[in-house]
Amino acid sequence: MTFNEILDLLNGIMRTTGVFNFDPKVIVMWAIASLFIYLAIAKKYEPLLLLPIGFGIFIVNFPLVPMMGFEHGRPQLLQFFYHYGLEWEIIPCVIFLGLGAMTDFGPLIANPKTLLIGAGAQLGVFITFTGTVLAGFTLKEAASVGIIGGADGPTTVYLTTLLAPQLLGANALAAYSYMAMVPLIQPPIMRMMTSKEERKIRMRQLRPVSKKEKMLFPMVTAGIIALLVPSVIPLMGMFMLGNLMKESEVVGRLTESAQGSLMNIVTIFLGVSVGATMYADKFLSWKPLFIFGLGLVDFAVCTIGGILTVKVMNLFLKEKINPLIGSAGVSAVPMAARVSQVEGLKADKTNHLLMHAMGPNLAGVIGSAAAAGMFIAMFH
Amino acid sequence: MKKYVILLIGLAFLIPASVMAEDFLEAPVIPGGKVLLKTDSRLEFTVPKGHREVLRYYKDALKKLKDIRIREWKNDTYIEDDGNLPWHSITISKGDTSETKIIIVKDNWTWILGTLVLRFVGVFIVLLLLFLAMGISGLIISKSVARAEAKKASA
Repeated sequence: MTFNEILDLLNGIMRTTGVFNFDPKVIVMWAIASLFIYLAIAKKYEPLLLLPIGFGIFIVNFPLVPMMGFEHGRPQLLQFFYHYGLEWEIIPCVIFLGLGAMTDFGPLIANPKTLLIGAGAQLGVFITFTGTVLAGFTLKEAASVGIIGGADGPTTVYLTTLLAPQLLGANALAAYSYMAMVPLIQPPIMRMMTSKEERKIRMRQLRPVSKKEKMLFPMVTAGIIALLVPSVIPLMGMFMLGNLMKESEVVGRLTESAQGSLMNIVTIFLGVSVGATMYADKFLSWKPLFIFGLGLVDFAVCTIGGILTVKVMNLFLKEKINPLIGSAGVSAVPMAARVSQVEGLKADKTNHLLMHAMGPNLAGVIGSAAAAGMFIAMFH
Repeated sequence: MKKYVILLIGLAFLIPASVMAEDFLEAPVIPGGKVLLKTDSRLEFTVPKGHREVLRYYKDALKKLKDIRIREWKNDTYIEDDGNLPWHSITISKGDTSETKIIIVKDNWTWILGTLVLRFVGVFIVLLLLFLAMGISGLIISKSVARAEAKKASA
């Protein structure tokens, strides 16, 4: 073997490594991935999602890694997760099943008026839609960006996969990041939108809710949603099935699986698949930055929408509602309700709003799903 | 040199002929139609062709556009653009006649804002109905519970 042949051999070997195919753009993606991993580990911001998302971003942004592409027409590992989990719309629905199995709708059933707050808090979704269209996005893209403000991760993923899969990474990341930052984003807006007197409003203790009511709720809700917004029933149907399983208390093993291991498994696949959609060539453009900027506005307007709805309702109600619970109409459960509680305690140390805020918080989940259904109906 | 000049002049005549294929706001217009109304935002015209032929023409002309949605209504076929094109919709009339009416409408904010407001109101209606249903079911359950308790007490 001559010296040149040895060099050729070495050259051939080197070309199969990532070093020779290195693109400097990936460094930016590594930085983004590291930021989200840092936020998950050090700041505990939505770690269950931001950690796998961050690692997904990191791992696909190396040259030649066989993760998100196709080889001889066969999908590679993360492409499999993405295809069957997200493109087939399975993961968001299974997550909703688990969420339903974990949710106690008691506070909402005890005070059903708060359902309207969940609707009012979707204001940002529709306003952001307009802003996004003005910026040159298509209507489908605008709908998928708008839903970020609903603060519901699975709904955002579901709608984006259906309408604008090219924005999945940016939208999911914006949704989960801002959901984690609810305690930072909402309080200044809440204080700005309410007077000291309003923040001190005391609400009557919630009535106890019977088991029968709790069991009837998922059936009634699923029926009404199926009738009015059928396009979103894959999500809401699973949500209500999970809740019926929990409330019926006859399928304990299934409930435990749905809210435990099953939920954990799909969360891993969701996080890593979403992260894997963000490779440098696709992600590094003005659109994700714009989505992040507008997502923040979206959250703010949704918070304002919820508070304004309470204020309007108070004009007609004898027993006033504390407008601080309006901000919980964005569905980030239970974070947004906790923020209402903290802000309420700041105004009056003996005024506990947590259970009152859980009503609009849960209504927000239904409201954002209804808004998503409206968008799906618009395009399908 | 002369050859090239002649060729260039020839091209100058040919290129506009192909580029100027009829369109309204970038929406294709079937040649040979009779214009009924033309403004900056709307074109109404008829063509001496049946509905099927016209629809086939538009399906073929728009097949490369991914944000196109075709809806079959009772009296019309409605083609809508959900992307960024300057036109919003093409309405093709149905019927057994050999003449078909086509309406092309410019993309407009009235439609976008109108549909958004309606859908926002729609979210309220969904939750309002849920509120009412919960109220009714709660009432029925509390009455039945009260009856059962009264029965127990009397027994």
